Amino acid sequence: MTSMDVFLQQAINGLSLGSMYALLALGFTLVYGIMELINFSHFNVFMVGSMIAMLTLEALGVVGQETVMTGLPLAAVLIVAFAVVMLTCGALGVGIERFLLRPLRNVKGPAAMITTIGISYVLFNVVLITLGSDAKNFPNPLPPIKFEIGGAVLRLREILIWAIAIILMGGLTYFVQFTKLGKAMRATAQDPEAARMMGVKVDRVVMMAFFVSSALAGACGLIFGLYYNLAKVDIGFAAGLRAFTAAVLGGIGNVPGAMLGGVLIGLIESSAGQIVGTAWTDVVIFGLLVLVLVFRPAGLLGRLAPNKS
Amino acid sequence: MISRRSSFKAAAGIAAAATLGIKPSFAADTVIKVGINLSLTGADAESAARIANGAILAFEEANAAHAVKGYKFEAVKFDDATATAGQYDPAQAATNARKMVSDKAFVAALGPQMSGAGKAMAPILSWGNLATITPSSTNPDLTNPKFAAQYMPAGKAIYFRTVATDAFQGPNMANYMADTLKVKSVFILDDSGAYGVGLADAFQGQAEKRGIKILGRDRLDPKATDYAAILTKIKSLNPDAMYYGGVGQAGVKLVKQSYEIIPKVIKAGGDGVYGADILKGAGFPAVDGWYATNASPHVTEDPKVAKFSEAFHAKFNMFPEDYSATCYVGAQVIIQAAKNLVAAGKPVTRDAVRDAIGGIKLADSLIGPVEFDEYGDVKNKIISVFQVKQNKDKPIDDMDAQFRYVGIAPAVS
Repeated sequence: MTSMDVFLQQAINGLSLGSMYALLALGFTLVYGIMELINFSHFNVFMVGSMIAMLTLEALGVVGQETVMTGLPLAAVLIVAFAVVMLTCGALGVGIERFLLRPLRNVKGPAAMITTIGISYVLFNVVLITLGSDAKNFPNPLPPIKFEIGGAVLRLREILIWAIAIILMGGLTYFVQFTKLGKAMRATAQDPEAARMMGVKVDRVVMMAFFVSSALAGACGLIFGLYYNLAKVDIGFAAGLRAFTAAVLGGIGNVPGAMLGGVLIGLIESSAGQIVGTAWTDVVIFGLLVLVLVFRPAGLLGRLAPNKS
Repeated sequence: MISRRSSFKAAAGIAAAATLGIKPSFAADTVIKVGINLSLTGADAESAARIANGAILAFEEANAAHAVKGYKFEAVKFDDATATAGQYDPAQAATNARKMVSDKAFVAALGPQMSGAGKAMAPILSWGNLATITPSSTNPDLTNPKFAAQYMPAGKAIYFRTVATDAFQGPNMANYMADTLKVKSVFILDDSGAYGVGLADAFQGQAEKRGIKILGRDRLDPKATDYAAILTKIKSLNPDAMYYGGVGQAGVKLVKQSYEIIPKVIKAGGDGVYGADILKGAGFPAVDGWYATNASPHVTEDPKVAKFSEAFHAKFNMFPEDYSATCYVGAQVIIQAAKNLVAAGKPVTRDAVRDAIGGIKLADSLIGPVEFDEYGDVKNKIISVFQVKQNKDKPIDDMDAQFRYVGIAPAVS
């Protein structure tokens, strides 16, 4: 491999990682934008999503890496899997909001945030007890198609991940910018009291934010499984922390910021692995985060919603 | 544990014996506890269950045969893995060691499975003078006289092993790579754990001596999920082989991703790779072709061990691994030590058992002759080499079917 090939390959690696971080980061940012709540249960909603995706694919008859599908059956299996995962995770998110966080909505202080940490651990342990802690071989129906670009390899799964990430992010942007509910969301983010007075059903908006962010986490769980052929109970914390960092880096509460932050973290992670070694990746990521926050305390793109406090 | 029904039977037995005028010996049996500390949950749980069952089998056989007169063994399992660590947790291992030391009924222990846990436990066990026999932890520091102040502060060897150490596992594999696989260049990875770093260091030292070019060395975060960056770097360096010192948590992900990125490079690891968790988690075809070593003679296919394997399978409905055998032998050592004490008319106490283990000699155990040196290492050190080769007719977690035994790694002369 020439150094150009290496650069290209690491860019491909970084973009794939980055798309996943971006999808997860969107969930943090959506909920934070509306409620000013850092939702740590998001970590493990994502993990639960990957487990549901695994069970769904297994139920659809995909076994390990041995079942290879193409064409229409592949599309059908993927669409069903995405639908199931996004709906169940969305419902899980709505449930968390409705039954565990809404009673705390008007409690001052960190009670709600601590609750989300607790929920995260409950989800973790429920999966740990029911499905066990071993690394699971994620069923993957994608055909092993590769394209060689010089010495670099671009696999079908990478293209698929980028495409899905772009579709989901585009859909989300459209939803937030151009639909009535999206407008209500932005209004609530700016000023919940005024929005309520203008007839916005704030409870519904909050619920919707949880639904969308959890559905994205679920989709990300499925993508994660397809990319790594792996599902494991502890994936939520590592990936979630990086995604949360991405959201902060881009400017928490800011939708394009989360996407930018995610992709940046992905690229930094892969180039750090190449240049200074994997042992130092976290140092580089968090070092850069600190640097950015020193000069731009609101993140790269800043917060769009005005500060409510 | 005595169920209601069996306690009833036992009571009936005592009554019957009493009427016949026989003194029921088992009624007076003193219970001696043996702690079994392994990583029973988390990433290494699969292997831990197989190892623990080796010891349980030995103790049950001994109890059934009344091997030690007047005493009855009770195996108490301790789990040193925590949910937050996802694998062994040194802090939990230390807590378990304290629990064992503080209960006088514990006269010996088996375990731990992992060297990182061993490093946390050894000083506590040393002060408590509680001997442990590890069936699988292979980090050399634990029995190295250079680190005696750290791991045997009370002065006596308490950390015995029925396995060889990474001081042999790593270097012998380097020899195997140089001699048999004709490897000229290698990239080395570890998983930042005590075992992984030590194994990779030992491998690296001998590889350098044998003239294998070291193209790089890096450290994996076992909790990270993406190793594509480092694997792409390895691909760009184009080594003949990659050596991984570490256990299953990072191992499964490494196996999967290295198959995607560097399929043609020879890939090898130590006994952390030799496990059913790697086979099941990584799956075929990713794991096909990996080399792994084990710090014990390969016995589960040995005909003389067939009886053990059968009894094991019949009782636990799973296949034993080599460390099931080393754990079984570890338990036998403890049983033999107790037997020797009773024969000499001494009480079976913790201090006496420790001294007895130091002088034990088993001429013909499942793993050959067993005898310890003054620091606790087994004298007969053999490293077996395996290569994964798919056997579609057998279950994926059948270690003997999927890991093909390819021979003994040449010792460092």
